[in-house]
Amino acid sequence: MIALTSPYLWYTTRATGLVTLVLFTLVVSLGTLVANRVGGTTVGRFELNELHRTIAAVACTFLAIHVLTTVVDSYVATGPFASVVPFVSSYKRLPVALGTIALDLMLAVWASSLLKARIANASWRFIHWFSWLAFAIAVVHALLAGTDARTGIGLVVVIVCVAAVAGAGAWRFMARPTRAAGRTALSPLGAEPESRPGRPTSPPRTDPTRAATSPRMSAPAPTRANAQPAPRRDAPAPAPDASPFPRRPRPGRSR
Amino acid sequence: MGVRRRVGGFVLLVNPILCDGFGHCAELAPDLVHVDEWGYPIITTEPVALSNLAALESARYAVRGCPRQALRIERVHDAQ
Repeated sequence: MIALTSPYLWYTTRATGLVTLVLFTLVVSLGTLVANRVGGTTVGRFELNELHRTIAAVACTFLAIHVLTTVVDSYVATGPFASVVPFVSSYKRLPVALGTIALDLMLAVWASSLLKARIANASWRFIHWFSWLAFAIAVVHALLAGTDARTGIGLVVVIVCVAAVAGAGAWRFMARPTRAAGRTALSPLGAEPESRPGRPTSPPRTDPTRAATSPRMSAPAPTRANAQPAPRRDAPAPAPDASPFPRRPRPGRSR
Repeated sequence: MGVRRRVGGFVLLVNPILCDGFGHCAELAPDLVHVDEWGYPIITTEPVALSNLAALESARYAVRGCPRQALRIERVHDAQ
């Protein structure tokens, strides 16, 4: 058991801790990009989503290494259950407990994402909000328990990560793409609802049925609509084709 | 474990209640999905033959890539 007493496990713990922080910063930022519907032109939206998922897997791997080396290492006595049960570590009880809580939250997010196809999407989204809380707790854990996070490059890394995630969170909160408004504003295709040049199913301005029933066009005008014989007063009700609400051909849309 | 005969077809269906118009499906399965001017998907309703492996794979990617889990693939036995 030479390896358990050597300092390399401890170095691994410290290094993977910082790397995990950077990776989860990337994950949270990318998730914000996906949620705010960034992409679609130079980079696909689905590509950002795939990147979010893939980097999340890498980050979880580094988190697992971080936790395992901490538990196995004999330099700090945390105990076997301190990785999942908070406040049982004998070494730095509160800082380690914060990391444990963040880990448990991340486990919930991870499990819900693995079970995404089997649980309700609303449940998955609710659990996914925990990741913000987990990140905040993890940063406090890094500052309290971390050996390198309070000085030098480590502090710079932590500050940059916190700034990135705080900015992402503020943007997520302010943009808040709700169902209709956010989609219309952010969709690259629906920016201007009044001018739809490429819309094949919209009735043209010179629609004969619309022109004949429009109040503004009640006076005889030299349009094609008036070229056909006007209906007599004693004529029966107009044909269904002359309805003021012309039937548009519906596009092939699945239910 | 056996060789499943690729008879019949499939359709890609969207649950419009869940859909929030992220548009990932139109990027992942451009042959099956178009978006309207609000970003909602318009999916072809004609069944696609299961032997069309490229279309089936793209449909599976769309189902997996949907951020709202609003898509599913349904088998249709009397394709064409």
